[in-house]
Amino acid sequence: MTLTATRVFDEWRDKSLDDALLECRDAVESAEFESVRRWRDAGGKVIGHFEVYFPEEIVHAAGALPFKVRGAPLEPTRADSHFGSYLCSILKTSLELAMSGTVELDMFVSHPICDAARNLSAIWGRNFDYPSQILYLPQNPNSKGSIDYLRHEYDRMRRSVEEAVGTEITEDALRNSVAVFNENRRLLREVYDIKRDTPWLLAAEDAYALVALAGMIPREEHNELLSTLLPVIRERTNRAEDRIRLVFEGGFCEQPPFDLVRMLGRTSYVVDDDLLIGLRWITEDVPVEGDPLWNLAEAYIEKSSYSPVQHDLRKPKEHMLLKRIRGANADAAILAAAKMCEPGLEEQVAYTHALDEAGIAYFVNEFEENMSSFDQLELQVETFVENLLFA
Amino acid sequence: MAYAAGVDVGSTQTKAVIIDEAGVIVGRSLTDTGANVVKAAEHAFEVALEAAGLEEREVEFVVGTGYGRYRVTFGNTQVTEISCHGRGAVHLFPNTRTVVDMGGQDTKAIAVTADGEISDFCMNDKCAAGTGRFLGAAADALDIPLDELGPLSLQGTKPIKISTTCTVFAESEVLAWIGKGKKIEDILLGVHKSIATRSAGLMRRVGINSEITFTGGVSRNEGMVKALEERLGVPLNISEDCHYMGALGAALFALDHVKAGRAPAKSRVEV
Amino acid sequence: MTMTQDILGRGNREGAALFRDWFAGLNRTAQEGGNAAYVFVMGSANEILKTFDLPVVFPEINSLQTAVRRVAHEYLEDAEDYGYSPDICGYVKADVGMQLRGGDHPMGQIPKPALSVLTNACNTYLKWAEIWERMYQTPTVTIDIPGTRLAGGQTWQGDGDFEQDRAYVEIQLGELISTCEEVTGTKFDIDRFREVLGHTNSMQRSWAKLLDLNRAKPAVFNALTDATIYLGVANGLRGTPEGADYFERLVEEMEYKVANGIGQATDEKYRLIFVGVPCYPIFRRFNELFTEWDGVFVHSTYLWFASGGSNTGFQYDLANPLASLAEGMLISVRDAMDSMFHQNDVLIPMVEDFAIDGVVYHPIKSCRTVSTGLADGRFHLTEQTGISSLFIESDMMDRRVVSEAQMKNRIDAFFEGLESRRHHAMAGGEG
Repeated sequence: MTLTATRVFDEWRDKSLDDALLECRDAVESAEFESVRRWRDAGGKVIGHFEVYFPEEIVHAAGALPFKVRGAPLEPTRADSHFGSYLCSILKTSLELAMSGTVELDMFVSHPICDAARNLSAIWGRNFDYPSQILYLPQNPNSKGSIDYLRHEYDRMRRSVEEAVGTEITEDALRNSVAVFNENRRLLREVYDIKRDTPWLLAAEDAYALVALAGMIPREEHNELLSTLLPVIRERTNRAEDRIRLVFEGGFCEQPPFDLVRMLGRTSYVVDDDLLIGLRWITEDVPVEGDPLWNLAEAYIEKSSYSPVQHDLRKPKEHMLLKRIRGANADAAILAAAKMCEPGLEEQVAYTHALDEAGIAYFVNEFEENMSSFDQLELQVETFVENLLFA
Repeated sequence: MAYAAGVDVGSTQTKAVIIDEAGVIVGRSLTDTGANVVKAAEHAFEVALEAAGLEEREVEFVVGTGYGRYRVTFGNTQVTEISCHGRGAVHLFPNTRTVVDMGGQDTKAIAVTADGEISDFCMNDKCAAGTGRFLGAAADALDIPLDELGPLSLQGTKPIKISTTCTVFAESEVLAWIGKGKKIEDILLGVHKSIATRSAGLMRRVGINSEITFTGGVSRNEGMVKALEERLGVPLNISEDCHYMGALGAALFALDHVKAGRAPAKSRVEV
Repeated sequence: MTMTQDILGRGNREGAALFRDWFAGLNRTAQEGGNAAYVFVMGSANEILKTFDLPVVFPEINSLQTAVRRVAHEYLEDAEDYGYSPDICGYVKADVGMQLRGGDHPMGQIPKPALSVLTNACNTYLKWAEIWERMYQTPTVTIDIPGTRLAGGQTWQGDGDFEQDRAYVEIQLGELISTCEEVTGTKFDIDRFREVLGHTNSMQRSWAKLLDLNRAKPAVFNALTDATIYLGVANGLRGTPEGADYFERLVEEMEYKVANGIGQATDEKYRLIFVGVPCYPIFRRFNELFTEWDGVFVHSTYLWFASGGSNTGFQYDLANPLASLAEGMLISVRDAMDSMFHQNDVLIPMVEDFAIDGVVYHPIKSCRTVSTGLADGRFHLTEQTGISSLFIESDMMDRRVVSEAQMKNRIDAFFEGLESRRHHAMAGGEG
């Protein structure tokens, strides 16, 4: 496929660092997903995959654009009537994006991450003509059968994508995609290195925008963006300030509003987080040699992060969070959950108990992607941070 | 001449309507419900009788509706306000296919057939976000009489985005916007638009088909009429009697009984 | 006459007795300091646990019993004090409340978990088991059962994708057996396992037959109230001779009623299907709101998923027991999930087969697995069949979100609509 040559996000090029970051923020903050539209207008196919993790390499190898469906800060006027009352926002706004025609897909995939999201594939399928299915990522990564099972499930997905895109996915194409994504994962790790080591060089919302773009533009373009901007960011001469170092936990699925991230960045250094963790799920390079699907399956299970929606006996979430906090040398944590998010809300209980025991300060809150008033929240966060600073 | 009546005991106001055999309204009344629901129903009925110049015995059948319908102790039977609003709307506007009834406590979307038969309905479930209650909260916060809200909102030009869906928080959000120096008109325009959006969402659950008739107390609010029309992109059927729609529908059900000759002797129901 | 008196209501009497005995047994186990296997209704793996003679606890059933017995709020409040949000599953919270009270339950003492076995049929099962891991370091075994990938795309025996799923489930069942051996200190007995499977076979045959008998007019059992008693036995006594025998006698009772045209206590004017989970906080009253209008529930999707998909009537091959259990769990639990995500496939033909007048949707705040897709499913059901339906949201545990007055208003309006619809249809027929 030649579509990888299509560029869909040029706004940042030939600009100063600050202006380039502004363009990145605008693209991520907008609910228009202009880059996806440009890809389609150029004749490209788009496979939408819902939170949290999806093996995008399979879609990439077909020459299609894997688009991360992560809701949007908008009012779900059309989609709302297809849902009940007690649901998180991301389900509704994701369907809204498709119903309003803002993003046009050739296939939609969701995963058994939570009770609500599992319904989404069926709902989507009833309302659109293109295929809508579930990729059954294993919920028993502790079984010795899980990697082989997942390898086969990836192969099934490969066949489905081939059909939706109309292209054969060869082993060589897959290996090439694995290499492109390894490079991307390395660059994303670098963003987080900067956040941890020199947070004064990169504002929280800029780091977030740089990461989120991965889900909206071709990975080659994203690699180019990061490898151009990251060295310039490292050369900045901003001075370190005496700020509290925070870990933000609770952004694995529905995303907090941009202004919430901005507000946190104003009051503190956000040195690590689980925002869009699916894009950073695999934590090491995936071998390029050998069976690519098996390698991807093995990496999903053996070389991966954690989230409240994956059950793995080796990764009790509260231990993983403590590891994240200590690894980032953080002073405190923001324990957030999207409104009506069952797994997120449930995890908050284990988190608070574990942090109490460890004597680490935390602030608990709930957010919704399309909330627009932050006065009360900002007041509380500032008070929390002041308490820590002046303690 | 035979007469039939409907008494709609709503959460904030009680309405009574008396109609003749042709279905023409000959008397109507409106009173605050207050704490004594039974009394309010009786009072509304008496005032409507007076307006029609009728004696109680001349009204052959009375149907109670509204949340207090079982408190209409002098009524012959009860019908839900959902059926009544649908029936009344089709009577006044025969091409009605969707009814949106916005009252003090809740909003209902009702899909009706040409016969006035209810094919589907939906009500706001978890909170009062899309209802008249939300307006009440805004009126309290701004200390402006409820019926001035609509006209004021019509003067707004830059609507504020109201993000809370909770009536309890509406008040503090409205105050926060005032604190930021936003114009009251723009805040109110935002409040009306927010309610219109929620109501349109509710209507979508039953399907939005023209013509649409707007009923209930809030239908008298011109600001809400405009906000809803803009949201839906079509004009709404509105009438002076839209506020009385529940009672009118109840009276029409009562007239069915009169015509079928099924009216039993009226007796006081024990409550 | 004596025959009639003896047989009518037998299933409800015997079911209630078996249910009480089961809880009395759990109470004894707890008093003696023993533990039990904690399992869930969608994929209980009872067949393996019963082979090891492990008593089984269904936390979902414990929780719903607190609601039926009108004390759920006490447990919910304890769990919310402990940190759980008002917006999460009430079953989970009632269990947390009960664990915090040392297993104190209105039906007796509930033993602590020796191990927990869960499937992915509900994701909250995973989060729930993690709570016991944290509280008691309970060994947890997940049986991950891949469900339907896309609407209408179920695969079957012989298909490569199906065999891959089956192999995955079988490996996990082997791992469950190892854990059971460690926990109990006894070896897995394959002959005993076959016996247990045989009892489940009998029960599943009866269950499928029972559900089908309600095609009869009038319908012979209330799919909401009576059937909840049956479900208790179907879960707790799965794989036992008593359970198998109970369902044979229940089918006999219902066949007798069909043969003699005996319906339910209420007159049958409107035949309804229930979609969702019952409203346990006002369980009897909820049903009355329908029977007052002579509406009877002839079927319920609850009877499919809360029986773990026993409605498929799957029969295990005793010659090849473990592979066959894997196959059976795959097909049945997948069916249970389909009953929640893709129920229109079954509901649409039922409208005619069961002569249905209306469909009652009861999505609940507590359970997003069951409830998330109902508004959209209803929308498409209406579009395809034109059947009347009612949509009422409340909860199966939390009486704070159950408003009886609001519910009655909607139910009354629904029946007013059904009446006028029938009236117009009849008038149309005459003209």
